[in-house]
Amino acid sequence: MGHWLLTLFPATDFSLIAVMLGLPLLGAIVNGIWGKRLGPDAVRVLTLAVVGGSFLTAVLAFAALTAHVDASSHEHVKLAWTAWSWMPTSTAPGLYIPIDVKFSIDALSGVMMLIITGIGLLIHLYATSYMAGDPGYARFFAYLNLFIFAMLILVLGDNMPVLFVGWEGVGLCSYLLIGFWYEKAPNAAAGKKAFLANRVGDFGLICAMFMFAHYTGALDWAGIHAHADNFINPSDAMRVHVWPLGGGEYQGIFSFLQPHRAVTISAATAVGIALLLGCTGKSAQIPLYVWLPDAMAGPTPVSALIHAATMVTAGVYLICRLSFVFVLSPAVMMTTAIIGAATALLAASIAIVQNDIKKVLAYSTISQLGFMFLAVGVGAFTAGLFHVFTHAFFKACLFLGAGSVIHGMHGRIHDDDKAQDMRNMGGLRKYLPLTYMTFLAATAAIIGVPFTSGFFSKDEILFDAFRDHPVSPFTAQLARAHLGVFQIPLWLGPVLYGAAVLAATLTAFYMVRAVILTFFGEFRGWKVGRPAALAAGAGAGHDEHHHDDLTTPGRAPHESPWQMTVPLIILGTCSIFVGIIFNAGPIKVDALHSMDKWLEPVFAEAVLGGVKVVRDTNELVVGVGGLAAFVIGTALAYWMYISEKGAPAKRLAEEYPRLYKLLVDKWRVDELYDVTVIAAVDALSDTSATFIDQWLVDGIIAKLSSSIVKLSGTVLRALQTGVVQVYATMMIVGLACFGWFFVAPHAATAVDSTHEDNGDFVVSAGPGMGYQYRWDSNGDGKPDGDKFTPQSSVKIHLDEGQSQTVKLEVENAFSLRTTTSVSVSRAPKLNVVPAMQGNPGQAPAMPGGAK
Amino acid sequence: MTVDHYILLSAILFTIGGIGFLSRRNVLVALMSLEVMLNAVNLALVAFNRAQAGALSQSSFSGGTAHTGQVFAFFVIAVEAAEVAVGLAIVLSLFRIKRTVRSDEADLLKN
Repeated sequence: MGHWLLTLFPATDFSLIAVMLGLPLLGAIVNGIWGKRLGPDAVRVLTLAVVGGSFLTAVLAFAALTAHVDASSHEHVKLAWTAWSWMPTSTAPGLYIPIDVKFSIDALSGVMMLIITGIGLLIHLYATSYMAGDPGYARFFAYLNLFIFAMLILVLGDNMPVLFVGWEGVGLCSYLLIGFWYEKAPNAAAGKKAFLANRVGDFGLICAMFMFAHYTGALDWAGIHAHADNFINPSDAMRVHVWPLGGGEYQGIFSFLQPHRAVTISAATAVGIALLLGCTGKSAQIPLYVWLPDAMAGPTPVSALIHAATMVTAGVYLICRLSFVFVLSPAVMMTTAIIGAATALLAASIAIVQNDIKKVLAYSTISQLGFMFLAVGVGAFTAGLFHVFTHAFFKACLFLGAGSVIHGMHGRIHDDDKAQDMRNMGGLRKYLPLTYMTFLAATAAIIGVPFTSGFFSKDEILFDAFRDHPVSPFTAQLARAHLGVFQIPLWLGPVLYGAAVLAATLTAFYMVRAVILTFFGEFRGWKVGRPAALAAGAGAGHDEHHHDDLTTPGRAPHESPWQMTVPLIILGTCSIFVGIIFNAGPIKVDALHSMDKWLEPVFAEAVLGGVKVVRDTNELVVGVGGLAAFVIGTALAYWMYISEKGAPAKRLAEEYPRLYKLLVDKWRVDELYDVTVIAAVDALSDTSATFIDQWLVDGIIAKLSSSIVKLSGTVLRALQTGVVQVYATMMIVGLACFGWFFVAPHAATAVDSTHEDNGDFVVSAGPGMGYQYRWDSNGDGKPDGDKFTPQSSVKIHLDEGQSQTVKLEVENAFSLRTTTSVSVSRAPKLNVVPAMQGNPGQAPAMPGGAK
Repeated sequence: MTVDHYILLSAILFTIGGIGFLSRRNVLVALMSLEVMLNAVNLALVAFNRAQAGALSQSSFSGGTAHTGQVFAFFVIAVEAAEVAVGLAIVLSLFRIKRTVRSDEADLLKN
């Protein structure tokens, strides 16, 4: 199969990619433009067909890739396809950067491609039912198809600019889908927040692109890889000057700012930080994670697809893709790992007190992304990507399950916020058995129940965090050049491990809490919702198929239709079983490639050079931490919410009201940003609006120039009598002056002294219509001849030091005459007496020698 | 009757027209003065053409039948017609607004 495909589509021109990309784009265009006219049935068929087709193509492409990899005995190979040449650029003479619209599939992007199209297809199927009856049905699927297209561009792009197009494309789709129900102001605001937080990250990505072009002269992966060692070039010119910025020098009154030695960092660190900024934006890490919880304002399938399974993992993907750049700078690796661990811990701590089921999952996503960052930060790129893979299944399943719960709750409670509040749920396993089973399976995976997928991937991350230690692959060479290399302290590994275990414990706690509050106990929703909805006079939530009488107790929550449960069952099953099939650890079903072996060629160089194993440990021993996290977290939640019916939680909240409030308020990070960054921007724009615009621009530039115009207008207005005859008179006077100028002769002379050395000068007269000339060239006061002739120049000869006046008379066609004269003189000859050759007696008199 | 006589007549007509245009306040009369000036120019053009044709007939250039001046006079007549059409339209508009055809009262643009 794979070989047959490779004969049809050769590895260097694998145009099957065009089909994979083209189908979702086609769906987006047709749904976007004609969707409303086609009706929801056609939209449903089309959207499933294009995403299904894209998934099938991706499977075929993966088969071809497998054949290609086998044929080349596990080298890092790829299937590439160049669509067209995009922006051929040259940064310097002779340096040429071909920027093509080129796509490639290698082991890394192949896995991502399958996740995107496969899980994408399931979520599309789910959404066809979840979104049924929404007035924006076609628009929703247009956006969702566009997202699949953009995300595929992101992972398949073979160079930074193409990746960036996808990167911005998914950002756009994310924005559009978060604010999908834009009639509600908070939703639109959440979309804007996501977009702006991502802009900050994109700034970093653009900086990184410029640095790639500057340092490696390439923007495609292979080109960057070939010249990556330029990033650690120790020469001063190749390092990035931080202070003074850009390598300048402070002079004059600023000289006190000039340090003794310029503060520089290696280009690898600079580019790594820029890339990391981009990745924290897209993958919702500290400091840019604040947009993701708000992004839950979008429809739940969007949260599952974009804000859990695919788009938010783009940052992890980019770090994996450019792993060979990241390992060059241990400082950046350490920063990545610390950001990851801190985010995992922070988000998990917030999740334990949230009551909105989607908010819990949102913080859980941020926390799990933190785990991925931790993994890639310690150089365990495979573990990080493996967690992306397993997380895509269980978190998509959790979100879709939450969507199913909310959908069921809407049968009772016609209020978006109340329908998502876990305090109004409880006992739902009776009403939504399938949702309950799948949600439980995914929860088992995320909290690390042994032998589920999350258990393996999280365990691998914990193990690698404990064991691995990134080092600069060029330490020896740099030491020879007497350059210190940043060394990550050895104690960091265990600290990260400890933080990760704590975060995993919190994960187990909040997820079990969510399951218990949602599915166990008695249903608490009978009492709430309806009176409030009745008072508000609202007929409803967004799903219009529940238009019942608000005064009766209402229906019980109901199970979702098959379009929603089938994806749940598939994802739930995968959440349990993908781990044991693809994991790299000692316990596995060895029928297929492990993820480790499959990705080995991609990360071989980065891991071999940049990661040192510093602790000789056994995975089974270190794995105790992960297991303990699961057991303790689960037991704690069970004790708190089942045995004691939530009493300890209430007691804790009452005993530590300030801590509890702080957690509920999400550590008040949003408020912190409000008073710092946002306040600073506000102040800046206030200054611009009042001082610069109103005072400077309006006051000086506009008012001053307008008053000048006004003043001159006042003067000139006196001339405007409004009487036609006056204007006509002025015109005639002007014409008369003009006419006089042409009627009168004008005499002008020019002296050509190019042959002054010989004493020859040529005096020529300016030309004019019908002009005739009479010269007096010998200076005797009498004309040379009586008649006027057309002779327009005279030649005269002068001796040295002599001067003479040449007189010219001009007569024009009207017999009018005029005269002019010019004085021509020749410079006197200089008596050059060279000092050396001069008469001894004369020498003192001319000390300067030759003049 | 030499060309000089025609040129002299043309100059006199032109002067009369010019003085008339500058001194009369009735727009219609001013337009008539313009006509006089333009016809003075036409006369000069035709007269010069006549004189030039005599000179050119000596050479082989256009076989002594150069009519540039006369053709130009026709152009002037055509442009004149257009000008009168526009001019009278303006006069009509002026009359509608101001109830007068005196140019010194048409001073809406004054100051």
